[in-house]
Amino acid sequence: MRDVYQEQLDELAGALADMCTRVAEAMRKATRALLEVDLQLAEEVISEDVRIDEIRAAAEEQAFALLALQAPVATDLRIVVSAIHGAGDIERMGDLALHVAQAARRRHPHPVLPEEVAPYFAEMGTVGVQLALKAGEVIRTRDLARAAELESDDDAMDDLHRHMFSVLMDRNWSHGVGPAVDITLLARFYERYADHAVAVARRIVYVVTGQMPGPLTV
Amino acid sequence: MPAPPLPQQLAELSELLGRMCTAASGALHRATAALLENRERLAAQVVAGDEEIDELRARVEEVAGDALLFHSPVAGDLRSVVSAIRSAGDVERMGDLALHVAEVVRMRAPGPALPAEVRPAFAEMGRVAVQLGLKAAEVARTRNVVLATELDADDDAMDVLHREMMEVLMGEDWPHGVRTAVDVTLLARYYERFADHAVVVARETVYAVTGQEPGALPI
Repeated sequence: MRDVYQEQLDELAGALADMCTRVAEAMRKATRALLEVDLQLAEEVISEDVRIDEIRAAAEEQAFALLALQAPVATDLRIVVSAIHGAGDIERMGDLALHVAQAARRRHPHPVLPEEVAPYFAEMGTVGVQLALKAGEVIRTRDLARAAELESDDDAMDDLHRHMFSVLMDRNWSHGVGPAVDITLLARFYERYADHAVAVARRIVYVVTGQMPGPLTV
Repeated sequence: MPAPPLPQQLAELSELLGRMCTAASGALHRATAALLENRERLAAQVVAGDEEIDELRARVEEVAGDALLFHSPVAGDLRSVVSAIRSAGDVERMGDLALHVAEVVRMRAPGPALPAEVRPAFAEMGRVAVQLGLKAAEVARTRNVVLATELDADDDAMDVLHREMMEVLMGEDWPHGVRTAVDVTLLARYYERFADHAVVVARETVYAVTGQEPGALPI
């Protein structure tokens, strides 16, 4: 009986890690759609978001079944509660990748990004995808050192985000207000995506140590 | 000390969530006044007050955790506990968004963050968002499912306001430059997200009470 229970907990972690892989892939594709003005790729991201939402719903059902039938305590209870939080965060990461893809679609066939800011978004995309994959790994392995890495990766995202604003505010900005508005929102999507990945990793630290690292926010 | 009985814990969770929503709405109300009237000290108060909302959230998680641990609730009671945990995250985020509005006011002080002609639109976004937050508070407290379904329609009004703001920004004749456009873009987004989270809180309540997502209800 105990084994079935352990299996269910592992299955729940597996579902969340799978969600992380999918939202990483969604952000990778959305970023490419943005940079390469690829409408088909943008459409793919948009249509695949439903699948992420479905996995979230399934993961929540698993969590409910565990709570109702197994009445977990101590660490196991923390795992299930963290999974409920994590599922929400990861689904939101999928939504943010979707928003990036929608921006690419809205401006198609024109590029959303002026050439000189494209490299920053390529970098934000890379950092974001890394964060999602690492969050998935942390869910699978509960590796605390890996979880701590997400904090410094997120600092890199914050630096990129801040830098993006200084480019927009510079007097040499020649692309006008429209692109600046798009870029402001897009940069925010990447930043929030990263924040949610960090939140997922923090919840795992909490599962393992019983202590929340830093503030609970996000 | 033994854990309180489950009904008492569930009542406390509703009460805490209601208080959180009221506090977040109050914060956005003050942040909006600070934004419209260029009041830096009021903005500072909003920033300082966010801690209270974070503490309420920690309390929700504590009570919810105890409820799960000591009572192993099932069915509707289990849904109530889980939806309280999830809603608390949304309401905390509402508080953070009010804080972000206040931070923009402080960052641009002593100058105004908003050009005069968009202030009426932000006054309206503030009004709609605060009203949504207060309605979410009432839904959380009373678990009134019919009231909960109103929030979706209220949120449509916010989406219209948000879209109109974006059109103003994207118009040919925006005379206020890029920096102000960036501020207005983010501020409008904060109001829109605040409203979205209020809607989620109401949906969570519907789910807790009925076991169904609001879309599935014949109301």
